[in-house]
Parts: sequence; C-alpha cells; structure tokens
Amino acid sequence: MKKPKLATVWCEACAGCHMSFLDLDEGLVDILSQVELTVSPLTDVKDFAFPHVDVGIVEGGVGNQENREVIERLRRQCRLLIAWGDCAVFGGIHTLRNGLSTGEVLRCSYVETAGTVNGVIPCHEDIPPLLDKVLPVNAVVAVDGYVPGCPPAPEVLAYCLKELLAGRLPVLPEEMIHFD
Amino acid sequence: MEREAIQVKITIDGKETLVGAGLTILEAARQQGISIPTLCHHPALSERGGCRMCVVEVDGAPRLAASCVTPVRDGMNVVTVNARIIETRRTMLEFLFAERNHHCMFCPRSGDCELQALAYALHMDHLTVPSSFDAFPVDATSDYIGLDHNRCILCGRCVRACEELSGCRVLNFHNRGPATLIGFDLNETREHSTCTSCGACLQVCPTGALYHRHRTHYAVKGHSRNWQTIRTVCPLCGLLCPTVSTVRDNDLIKIEGIVPAGEDRPDRGILCHLGRFEVLKPSGRRLLHPMARQTDGSWAETSRERALDLTVEGLNRVRDAHGGHAVMGLVSGLSSNEELVCFRDLMESAWQAGAIATVESSEFQNIYDLGPDNGQPFTEASWRKMAEADFILTVGAVSPDRQPAVGNLIRRCLIEHHLRSAVIGPDDFLYPHGTHHLPVKNKDALLLVRLISNEAAKGMKKTTAAAGPGESVRPIETVKATDIVKRLHLDGTAQIVLHEIIRDFVDSVNPLILVGENVAAQADKTGLGALVNLARLKGLDHDRRLRLIVLKPCGNSMGAWRLLNRSGRKHRARAGIKGGLILLEQDPFQGAVDLKIPDDLGFLAVISPCWPDSLDDRAHVLIPKSSWRETDGTWSGLDGCETVFRRKMLDAPAGIQAAWQTLADLAVRANVTSGCTTWEALRRQAEHEMQKEAIGEKT
Repeated sequence: MKKPKLATVWCEACAGCHMSFLDLDEGLVDILSQVELTVSPLTDVKDFAFPHVDVGIVEGGVGNQENREVIERLRRQCRLLIAWGDCAVFGGIHTLRNGLSTGEVLRCSYVETAGTVNGVIPCHEDIPPLLDKVLPVNAVVAVDGYVPGCPPAPEVLAYCLKELLAGRLPVLPEEMIHFD
Repeated sequence: MEREAIQVKITIDGKETLVGAGLTILEAARQQGISIPTLCHHPALSERGGCRMCVVEVDGAPRLAASCVTPVRDGMNVVTVNARIIETRRTMLEFLFAERNHHCMFCPRSGDCELQALAYALHMDHLTVPSSFDAFPVDATSDYIGLDHNRCILCGRCVRACEELSGCRVLNFHNRGPATLIGFDLNETREHSTCTSCGACLQVCPTGALYHRHRTHYAVKGHSRNWQTIRTVCPLCGLLCPTVSTVRDNDLIKIEGIVPAGEDRPDRGILCHLGRFEVLKPSGRRLLHPMARQTDGSWAETSRERALDLTVEGLNRVRDAHGGHAVMGLVSGLSSNEELVCFRDLMESAWQAGAIATVESSEFQNIYDLGPDNGQPFTEASWRKMAEADFILTVGAVSPDRQPAVGNLIRRCLIEHHLRSAVIGPDDFLYPHGTHHLPVKNKDALLLVRLISNEAAKGMKKTTAAAGPGESVRPIETVKATDIVKRLHLDGTAQIVLHEIIRDFVDSVNPLILVGENVAAQADKTGLGALVNLARLKGLDHDRRLRLIVLKPCGNSMGAWRLLNRSGRKHRARAGIKGGLILLEQDPFQGAVDLKIPDDLGFLAVISPCWPDSLDDRAHVLIPKSSWRETDGTWSGLDGCETVFRRKMLDAPAGIQAAWQTLADLAVRANVTSGCTTWEALRRQAEHEMQKEAIGEKT
C-alpha cells in the first residue's frame, strides 16, 4: 500500500506546534515509516506543485496575504485539513492586534517601539501585506479536525496522527483538550 | 408549613425521586448528586437565568429550560444530559467566547477560570461561530481591582454581589445589546466611583474580567493545582471575618471570604479592602536577625541569646534605678490572647511594669472607665445586632481605613430592611447611602449626644407612658437645646436633621449606637455618660447587653483590654517612663500609629516582625518574631462575645520564633517561674482567663 501523504504548513505562529511535533523524538521515526512527509518546515520543502496530499496540517492563524494563499491552496490540494494549536484553532495571541488597524500595528512595531530611531515601515513587493484581522483557519477555509493547545503536547499530536492513520477524524478526548 | 416540607415527585434522568417543593431543578439535581454546569448561578446570590449553561429538557418540550430558575413541579420529567442539551450548552458557550476577546494569556497557565473549565468540560475544541474581535476598554484606575471588559461575559454575578452581599450598588449594567458593559455608578472609572473595594465582585467573577491588580499574573499565581487553601480568620478588625487563604510556596495568592457558607454571619462572608488586598502587599522591611545598638549608635547583628540577655539586663537596670513604674510594656492589638497573657505576665512578674497597654490606642477604653451604673453591667452588644437593629446611630467615625466591614454591613442593612441610620461626627463614609449626617467634630458629637439623650428621654416619656419603659429613664443633667445649637452654629437644615435623629430614635424598637474610637477616647465623662444613658433608654437588648458597640482599632483590642486590665488594674500611666518592651505586629496601618513614648528612654527593646522604622532611633535591641500571618492563636471579637481560633497562613522565615517563645525565653532569663512554658499550657491559660472575664461580666 502506498504511504499516505502529509503536508504541514506554518502560518502566523511561533513554530511551537512544529517544535512539539519534533518533540515526538523517536516516535517521529515510527510515524514517518507510515506516512510520507511532503511540504513541511521540517523537510524545508515549500513547493506546492505536487498534485495532492491526503492530510494537510496548519499551524498558526491567518494574518497576511501569503498565509491566506497558502491555506487556500492547501485546502484545495488536501483531502483533510487539520488545525494544530490555539492560533490555527482560535486565532491565538496574534488576535491581540485585532483591536488596532494594520497601519497602527506597523507603526507600533517599526516606528514607535522604545529604542527605535528613525524607524521605517518595511515595504517591498515580496513582503506580504497584513490582513485587517488575524483569523482562525476555519474563518477562511473549511477545517476537518481541531487540536487546540499552546502548543498541543507531543502525545496529543501523536494521538491525532494515529487516529488519522486509522482512518478516523481526530476528536480529542476531554483530558487532552487544553488551551495551554 | 415549611415550603421544604412539602415533597413533590419528579423524575431526573430516568430516576424517580422525592424533592422539596419550591426547589429549582438545579437544586434538586444537585441534591441527587447530578451535576449541571452553571455560570451565572452562584450559591450566595439570587438567580438570573442568563447564561443558559444549565439548560435541561423538561417533559420532552422542544424548548430547553434553564434549571436554575425553573421550580420543580409534581410529575415533572427532567433530562439533564443528552446530545441536544450538550450541543446547546456548547453553542451558548461558544457565543460567550466569540462575543469578546477571551484569548487569555493567564487562565491556561493558572487554570483559575470557570469559563475555561466549562470549555474543557463541554469539549469546546474550536468555535463554530466567528469571533467578533471588537475591542473593549480596560479600567485599571484602581490600586486593587482591575476591570477588563474584554473578558466579561455579562453574567451579572458582580452586579448582584455588589448589591446583595456588600450593599454598595455601585456596579450595574450600562448600555444595551452587544455594547453592554459592567459599569461603576453613572459610568465612572473605578477610582472615581463610590466603590469601597470590598472585592466581593472579584471573588464571584467566573472569568478574569474583574481581577486582582497584584495577584493575576501566573508568574505570581502559578497553577491552581499547586495551591493550598487554609481556612482562617482575618484579624484586622473586631468582626474577625472567616477567610479562605490561598497559598503557594509559602506565598499568599489570595484571601477570600467564605461567601456561599457565610449565612450564619450577617455579613454573609464579604471582606473589605484591608483584609482582601492590603494584607497581600508587602508591609515594611522584614526584620530577620536580632539587632543590638552599638556604642557608636549603629546597629549590628547579634545572636538571639545575646539579644535576650541584653533585653533582660536593660529592663532590670531601668527597674533597679527607677522602680517598676518606670517600665512600660506596649503590645499590638493584633496579638493573640496567648501572646497578650504571656506578655502581661512577663512584664508584671519580671519588672512590675507600671504601664502595660496596647500600641494602637489605650484610650478608646475611656468609656469603660465609667464602670457599672446602678448595678447594670457594662456589656456591649454583639456586633451581630447591627443586622437586627432598626436604627443605628453612629457617633464619631466608622473609619473606612479601620472599620470598612462595619460600613459594608450597615449599608446592606440600609438597602435590605430599610434600616434607619444617622452619623454624628466628622466622617461621612456612610452618608451617600441614605443616612442622616451631622458633620461635627468628635468632642462636639458628644455635646450633641447629651442633647439627643435628654430630648429622646423626654420624647419617650410622652410616647411610652402606657407601654412602660424597660429601664428607668433619667436625664443625667439639664442641657438647654438652644445653647448647644448656638454653640455648634447648627443651621436650619442641621436642626431639622437633629430632630429627625431624635424622632427616629424615639420611634425605634431596636436601636443600636456605634461609638467611634476617637469618641470613646474623649475625656468628656458627662458626654460619655450621656452616650451610655442614651443606649439604656430602650432597655437592654435580648442578650441583656447594652445597646452600644465601641469600635476598636484592631482585631484583638477587646481581648487586649480584658487581659491587660485584669482585676481592674489600670496600666495606663505614661509619666516617668524610663524603659520598656514593645511587641509590634505587621499592621497595614502601623505607619499611622503614634506610639507617644518619650525620646530619652534608658532602654527600649522591640520585638517585631518588621523593622520598626518609627522606633529606629530610640530602640536598643530588636528581636524578630513571626507575624500574625505566621502565628496560630485565639482572638476575641469586637464585643468580646466570641473567641475564635485562627490558624496561621504561612510559615515564618527560618530561625524566627513566635512571640510567645521569645517571651518565655525572656522569662527564664529574668528568673521568673511561669506556668506557660508550652504552647498548650498558654492556650489553656488564655482560654481560662477569657472565660473568667465573660463570667465576671455576667455577674
């Protein structure tokens, strides 16, 4: 049987969920023997030009134009989309900026920061523009499974992947649901 | 017949059961051990039925009912859990999360949030409704209570607590619909509102909307699983409120009132800003080592043995040179009965001390010096009578700094059973809440009392000629009302208020007089006599006690007065003092206390948990002790009616002894044989003495 394909992407987040994924340690070997990891920060493959993956996993909220495109593309190219971590599930800490306009956010960050002299807001065609608000993934595209946690513990991620391998949508038991 | 005595038969989750009629479904279910999640419900508050977390299915009806406000009915069939109910509850919860910003950084780390606990329990792993992300203001103007509207779910627990528990009615809902906010007064900031910072709202808040300014960050709080709770008693004022202290790693996290179980106390378990917030603040630099004054005037660390020896030598020297009357012992009113007994015995037997008194004030007892009158005992009413009185006359100040809990209790009574109340004195702490107020100085207050006492006696003669007064009423002197009015420059309004007060008193059935400590300290014996006379006009109360309560500065001021003045001894003289021993406590108001001791003492030793800044230049030996937070002991309340045991909340720093231990060690060095060399013996002795006092009072 062909190994199912897995893609993971890192949007507006701290990479903590991928770190937690790495914290599976030797468990990772076991999982990689059963799935093929395609696009992922772990493989450093960023090319979406493959035809299809079985499961797409998102870490992070949708905060800029690039995030949005990546998510929409992943959604088109995967059968099941799973949101990992509080940022992807709820929006997370980045939503703190939702009370401000993007102009204010950039000014606060690049011009008004204490210690900044002659700050300039970076502006280049390669820099994706911020969206008005940071949104959870399910506010942009349909999501099939949710794994909250900041970050979800490695064993929770392992549980999620094992459920997927067993052909079930992961629904966390109560003791695994934690927002920290 | 009692409502509860009638039973109705209902079926809960398929099980038939008999429950008391008049219960709500929620109460009935909880009696049966069935748990139903709630959010706006709080056992100490009235029901609101607003959050819909507690919905249940009644008789299979298509619309679910909120169990907290639906009474049971005979034959009712209740289902508390099925897929539809869970789905509804979770959806309602998601609305609460989506409505405002609950991306909280603290609760996941501390686990101290009812909203979050419900999200876990109801398996909320994502939101099916879009979040609003509207930003709401944060009110951080208060030093104690922060209000973050972004975390608020508008359950209204705080609004109900503000009215029903603390009697303030400061908090209320403002605006309508999604713009609804909790607000202080007429949309004031917290700091500029009439809020008294009792913190009842903060205690009942199920989220972090109302939060403690100094104990919210999880770096301070840690996770709730590492918390320890200790039931103890707040010693700051004479009400001795029972509290639950939360401690982590020997650090105080929070102090809360016993709100749901507070029903046996008329204050219903609310605390005040002192007991809830001030005691958490670091007060003073901790004294960690015994210190001795060097010949050049500087301080040097010394051993405990050396410090004890120096103390005994120093006090012996003073006594030998000037006699025992030149030795003074001052002790904090925040000391336990055991410490007081130990201190008094040591000062009396080792140095025959001429003055033994409390640090805070030795003069509030001036009123007690009037002694029994006509064989009538001078026994104050229990503070609990404040909740039963129909008229409370406050003479002098109910200080918000010293007696906030008394103010809270009276304010609630004003709202709840239309208590009539009047304040004669410089303070208007109660005034904004429907109280008559005559703003006069303390000494003038007593002058007015003389007038009121006489006028009320005259008024009662007219009205109670038929009923027959319980006690003989006799004006103690003749005062001309017009003279007093002239002397105090009372204007027309003030005169009307004065007549209202007299009329209220005459009309009242169960009046009570509160005496501020500054008034009780007045030397005006005639005025104080008039005060006691006024309290006797309506006879003694049901417990055969005087209808009068003297407000005292500290939690154990009454215990101190009784124990230090044992057998009628007066330890007041401050003249000719040449040396002494002072036992201080960690007191939030310590800085304000003027010890009134001479500058040129031959010897002064201070036993204190903190560095005694005010005595820094006068003391010769400093010995550290554990603070009241770190000491067990028995305390007597405001009226001396009840003695309670309070447990320590924290452990003392390593190597620091309790005060009684230090005093016992001093007794050994002073060659005094004391019966109280163990804690148990000391406790028995203190208990015995307090019982003797209580019996002595009755006879």
